Amino acid sequence: MNNGWLDFSDGAFIAAFALYCVSFFAYAVAVAGKRWSNRKPGEHLERWGRIAFVVAVTGWLAHLAFFFTRWIGQGHIPTSNMYEFMTFLGMAIMLAFIVVYFIYRNKLLGAFALPLIIIMIAFASVFPHESQPLIPALNSVWLKIHVTTAALGEAFFAVGFAAALMQLIRSADFTRTDKRAKRAHRWTEFSLVVILIIVGFIVAVFAFRAADYKAEFTEMAPISAEADAPEQLKQVIYHLPPIFQPHDSDTISVQPFLGMDKALFEAPGWMEGVNAGKKLNTVVWSIITGLILYGLLRLLVRKSLTAFLHPYLTDIDAADLEEISYRSIAIGFPVYTLGALVFAMIWAEIAWSRFWGWDPKEVWALITFLFYSAYLHLRLSRGWQGTRSAWLAVIGFLVVMFTLIGVNLVISGLHSYAGV
Amino acid sequence: MFQNTKCECGHQNPPGTVLCESCGKPQTEELMANPEALLEMRYDGVARRSQKADPQLIDKVWNFFSSVKIAVYMIVLTLIGASLGTIYPQEGTFINLTEREEFAAYYRETYGTSGVVYHALGLSRTYESWWFITLLVMIGASLVICSLDRVLPLYRALAKRQVRKHPQFISRQQAVYAGRVDGDPDEWIAKFGSALKRKRYRIHVEDGALLAEKNRFSRWGPYINHIGLIIFLLAVLGRTIPAWHMDQYLALYEGETRQIPGTNYYVTSDDFTVDYYGEDELAPNQKNMRVVKLYETKARLFECVDKCDDPSAEPVLGQVKEHAIRVNSPLAYKGLKLYQNSFMERVRLLSVKPTLADAVSGEAFGDFELRMDEPALEYEVGPYRLRLVDFYPDFGLDSQSRPMTKTREPNNPAFVLRISGGDVPEAGELYIYFPLPNERSRYYESTFNESFRQRGDNSGRFEIRVDNPVVDGKMNNVKYSEYTTYLNIRVDRAMPYIWVGAAISMLGLVMGFYWQHRRIWLRFDGSALSLGAHTNKNGYGLRAELAWALGRAGIETPPKSLENRRSIS
Repeated sequence: MNNGWLDFSDGAFIAAFALYCVSFFAYAVAVAGKRWSNRKPGEHLERWGRIAFVVAVTGWLAHLAFFFTRWIGQGHIPTSNMYEFMTFLGMAIMLAFIVVYFIYRNKLLGAFALPLIIIMIAFASVFPHESQPLIPALNSVWLKIHVTTAALGEAFFAVGFAAALMQLIRSADFTRTDKRAKRAHRWTEFSLVVILIIVGFIVAVFAFRAADYKAEFTEMAPISAEADAPEQLKQVIYHLPPIFQPHDSDTISVQPFLGMDKALFEAPGWMEGVNAGKKLNTVVWSIITGLILYGLLRLLVRKSLTAFLHPYLTDIDAADLEEISYRSIAIGFPVYTLGALVFAMIWAEIAWSRFWGWDPKEVWALITFLFYSAYLHLRLSRGWQGTRSAWLAVIGFLVVMFTLIGVNLVISGLHSYAGV
Repeated sequence: MFQNTKCECGHQNPPGTVLCESCGKPQTEELMANPEALLEMRYDGVARRSQKADPQLIDKVWNFFSSVKIAVYMIVLTLIGASLGTIYPQEGTFINLTEREEFAAYYRETYGTSGVVYHALGLSRTYESWWFITLLVMIGASLVICSLDRVLPLYRALAKRQVRKHPQFISRQQAVYAGRVDGDPDEWIAKFGSALKRKRYRIHVEDGALLAEKNRFSRWGPYINHIGLIIFLLAVLGRTIPAWHMDQYLALYEGETRQIPGTNYYVTSDDFTVDYYGEDELAPNQKNMRVVKLYETKARLFECVDKCDDPSAEPVLGQVKEHAIRVNSPLAYKGLKLYQNSFMERVRLLSVKPTLADAVSGEAFGDFELRMDEPALEYEVGPYRLRLVDFYPDFGLDSQSRPMTKTREPNNPAFVLRISGGDVPEAGELYIYFPLPNERSRYYESTFNESFRQRGDNSGRFEIRVDNPVVDGKMNNVKYSEYTTYLNIRVDRAMPYIWVGAAISMLGLVMGFYWQHRRIWLRFDGSALSLGAHTNKNGYGLRAELAWALGRAGIETPPKSLENRRSIS
């Protein structure tokens, strides 16, 4: 399939991505520039915050153009594979951010929401872009209804996550030196490192893709994704230098990288599943690249990232950030329940003849629901407001991301077609 | 222990009351000892059944299930348990394994030691395990008891509203304002009240005090949500009633009619079609792949109307529904649903239309239709009558070289026909006919017909053949089924309750999360105004609204300054 709509759509995607990056830059100027000499802090923040927001909304319009032209071009809604879904999620997060922005008018929130959106769609770009025709199982109006609603609910959780992360950085207390304060500081820093590892994954994949890197192995692998599929000899192609080669595999060819012309290690045998060795190798590369990025940033700012970011957030109360985080989750919760559970059950009833089947994706959607219900109930009790509630919002978003991506990569099941 | 629970305003509160139901004065020693602390406004500080002073066993059970903390524990345990079940595939996902030993062997061979442990712990059947179901039942009990424990007292507390509240009650709310107002307090109250009215508050004024309230209904959201969840969980339990539930698979080749076991219904697959995407529709990374575009079973559903239980008679069927069954488009009739599950490419001969001809001159006398299942016993062809003497759907020879059928499937059918009428002698002539034109069938056909001729059973003057078997590249005079379709037959009488439960639950969620209950109390003591406001969610919105209304009444104050900076006690 190739047509003008799809070409236009690809262009709009790049435009959206570029505009989001510009917007993030403007937000950074808005936040950092308050302390620059000869300007009024309030005015500066107001002006640059407005510029950043307008650019972000323009980026979102380009993103919408990408979405609808791709829809026209391929004849069905672009939410049917990982690339399409993750870009849609990025678009939904932007919408959720706009909604929350109009409720609270908080200029700083964009400085954290925008990078989240940028990471999300950069991550999406790792997956194959090809516009594929629909398989019969996905050919239903519920593909439009279920996927979009669920993603919108998750987008509000994402904004809640961004606000919670801000709250954690904001409430990090560097005057205290007791164990609790240090532990809180360490874990906040760790969260930032995890985000950098995801950035590291994206950077590593695109760097080696640009260099057209390739290494080939043969291994025994199941012929299909089904749990009891028989095994056969299969070729595995790595696009990252093999730190770990597949378990029990033979090398066909390895492009040398920094003098590395064969794999350093072999993936352990207990790692099961399709392409386990390749996934392990990717994870290791992501961690290495993420840690290098972290090291470079540390060299640049000469203190922990939390300590670096903290002063820029002092204008806003931790309690206000908590309110934004909680409210965002409270807005998202009914939407998520409707999209990821109720609509999902209706579709499952129509397509698979049962509304619930304990498929891993279904179970994880339920776990996400249960987690956020626990969060909402815990906030009723004393002692669970403040940073503890922020941590729950952060962990909740981890659960969401595992449901969306982890389940497809790690666990096989009925939703595996939505894979990579 | 006897406790005096009468408030200084004269109201008799039930034991366990935190804030006086009438005037709102704090009743517990903890709250009174710490007059600076913010009030805990959950359930408006009313006494709940679970706070009974001297609990009996049944009260203890009630108290256990009415605790939100316990409920959160149960939610967390359920989510951990549910996640354990996704580590390895559940037993239910393997359709080809049934026995416990088979499963044990599968987990051992595929996942090694961890697989053995997983299976031995019963995690391979997590969602049917006693502990998981117990957790769900306990969550159900908690939903009922938590709701009952709170909703009734809360209803009472909200219905009973004294306008003039205790000063402590007002000053310890989450949003507060205190100041002096010059001029007539009643005039000020009227101005402030009319501003709040524009924000859709209901206003109650009473001797120098005001109560403004809106969106009280949102307080019932959580309880409506819980009622929906209870209905949902009960419906899930209802699915275990055997008569409410049917789940079976039916294989049909094209043209076949079968009874749906356990019902009075019959289903026919008239035609099955599969479409694949063309090369130009596929993505570049899908070259040389066969991607299915659409597959469907053109089906008709019949209900037996007569002679249904008489094994000797053909049942009389009446058609009730016709539908092209696809994935995402089942056939539905009165709670019975037929889903497209899968299909198999398997050629099966349905019928042939052979011609009876003169073996020597080739002259055709006419043709007749031979069906492979339940073929008719008599056929009229031109001047002749053909009677079916024997039928072997899957022809073979037994150990003594006698003809027999290996299976009931028409893999290699053979028909033995006696021809009579016209100029044929009274006894008729016997012929064997193999419709499938393979070499082995040809050999059998000529050998048997030759031996019949030698026995004097036929004269060899007739020939049975299929004329023009191929026209324009398509099979002619032969009908066969290319595909066998697999349908999933379902009855689920609990489904309406599932959907009702889900709908009620959604209604409750929307009510509870998209509206907030807001209340504002104020009282004048001389010219001193004290004001307090409470909401269960979105304090930001409440403060903005309050600052706006104060502004209209002549008091300019930023919303942020209204926030009560005291910490919760």
